[in-house]
Amino acid sequence: MSSGAQINFVQFAPFGGENPAGHELFLTKPVNEQEAKDRDIELLRQIAAGDRTAFAEFYDRHSTLMFSIASRILNDPGEAEDVLQVVFLQIWETAGKFDAEIGKASSWAATLVRNKAIDRIRASQRRMRLAEESGVEQAIAAEAPDSANDTIYGRDKAQVIQSVIVGLPEDQRRAIELAYFSGLTQEEISKKLNEPLGTIKARIRRGLLKLRDQLEGLL
Amino acid sequence: MIDERIEEQAAMFVLGALSPAEAAEFSRALQSDPALREYVARLNKGAAAVAGNVPLVTPPPQLRAKILAQVAPQKIVSLPPRKFRPSSWLPWALAAGFAVLCIVLNVQDAQLRQTVIGQARRIGDLQQLADSLSSVTNDLQQSVLALQKTNRLASLKIAMLNSLLAEAPRTVAVSLWDEANQEGVFVVQNLKSLPADRDYQLWVLDNGTTPVDAGVFHVNENGGVRVDFKTKQPIKVAGRFAVTEEVKGGVPSPTIKNMVLASN
Repeated sequence: MSSGAQINFVQFAPFGGENPAGHELFLTKPVNEQEAKDRDIELLRQIAAGDRTAFAEFYDRHSTLMFSIASRILNDPGEAEDVLQVVFLQIWETAGKFDAEIGKASSWAATLVRNKAIDRIRASQRRMRLAEESGVEQAIAAEAPDSANDTIYGRDKAQVIQSVIVGLPEDQRRAIELAYFSGLTQEEISKKLNEPLGTIKARIRRGLLKLRDQLEGLL
Repeated sequence: MIDERIEEQAAMFVLGALSPAEAAEFSRALQSDPALREYVARLNKGAAAVAGNVPLVTPPPQLRAKILAQVAPQKIVSLPPRKFRPSSWLPWALAAGFAVLCIVLNVQDAQLRQTVIGQARRIGDLQQLADSLSSVTNDLQQSVLALQKTNRLASLKIAMLNSLLAEAPRTVAVSLWDEANQEGVFVVQNLKSLPADRDYQLWVLDNGTTPVDAGVFHVNENGGVRVDFKTKQPIKVAGRFAVTEEVKGGVPSPTIKNMVLASN
């Protein structure tokens, strides 16, 4: 039977919710960042030595964040599960390569899962289409009832982070989210937003610098 | 002092927006520039905040056991306790030197062991891949010989199908299409088995664009199968081939997101 391919590209559901500006900015459940960071480094060291118990603990600490990111990018629970499996096996194999100097273990794990999810989208050649159809620009624009950051920083701190992100200028936020969640290269973002490459680079740089400055001391 | 151009590259790097070649080049620069590493570490915090600002979705409970079951069993190495001999008259300096030497040797031993394990695993993987390719080659040789006998090789289209699944890079397949007789042969190795309610479905892309149903198939316990197939409609030009995972019996149109193999 011949047919035109019915490509059922999945769509991202945009966030709904309130801007948490005005939320009382204190932690009801403080998270000791340094302790958490040290524990992760120790766990990865043990995983590199073949310790399954450490691997299980690392899974418990980070799987929700990682699954949330995979789900956001792929919008398909089955595919998100597949990606999580692949990434955890990658962590098992490459834990020794983690470099604590350039980021936290949670950021490393988030990057691994993000990259693998983007690879999957690229493999099925639906990346541009997803970016066009998804309204992905809303991905980080508004508040979700619970965000994956809750699991890392606690609810109150996660809300502060969200308010900082929502507070970014629209054009900067949009460029950042297209890069992170759609996996578009800088040239592709430039093309999609119909803006010169230099403008896109500057926007992303300024946006990330703002996040860095405003979240300094918080993360 | 990091100039603006490098700052822009760093921002793109932490968001994964550099091309693979650009990212590799930036990684090399990162290795030799401590200031840049520190800058990237700070930007990474912003990127991590963005990454985590997504709706919270809890992974299914069974996934944990599934993943843990896939990693090698824990190796517990118990070392005999080192005996302390109070009557020893060895100088403290020698003892300290010996201790340092032990530590160095232990570290080197651990690193060497990791390297050996890694190399052994890679050799095993390569052996499996070689076996698979050998098996596919044998099947293909048989098919080509059969086609040569009937002088049909001239109108034969041969295509290699590559895996689109990151977790199954060793899956290999080849499709041969005889345009004159409108029939083909498909051989695959290392494709995962499907549950009873699912089928793999083969597609011939007429002119490289229009998918035409070429039937469904299941793989054997080794992930292999050879299928002699005909398409549901005549093919003008067999441009490409693809395999999707579908519901049992197949579907009229391929589900693109379930594509597992495709030729170039």
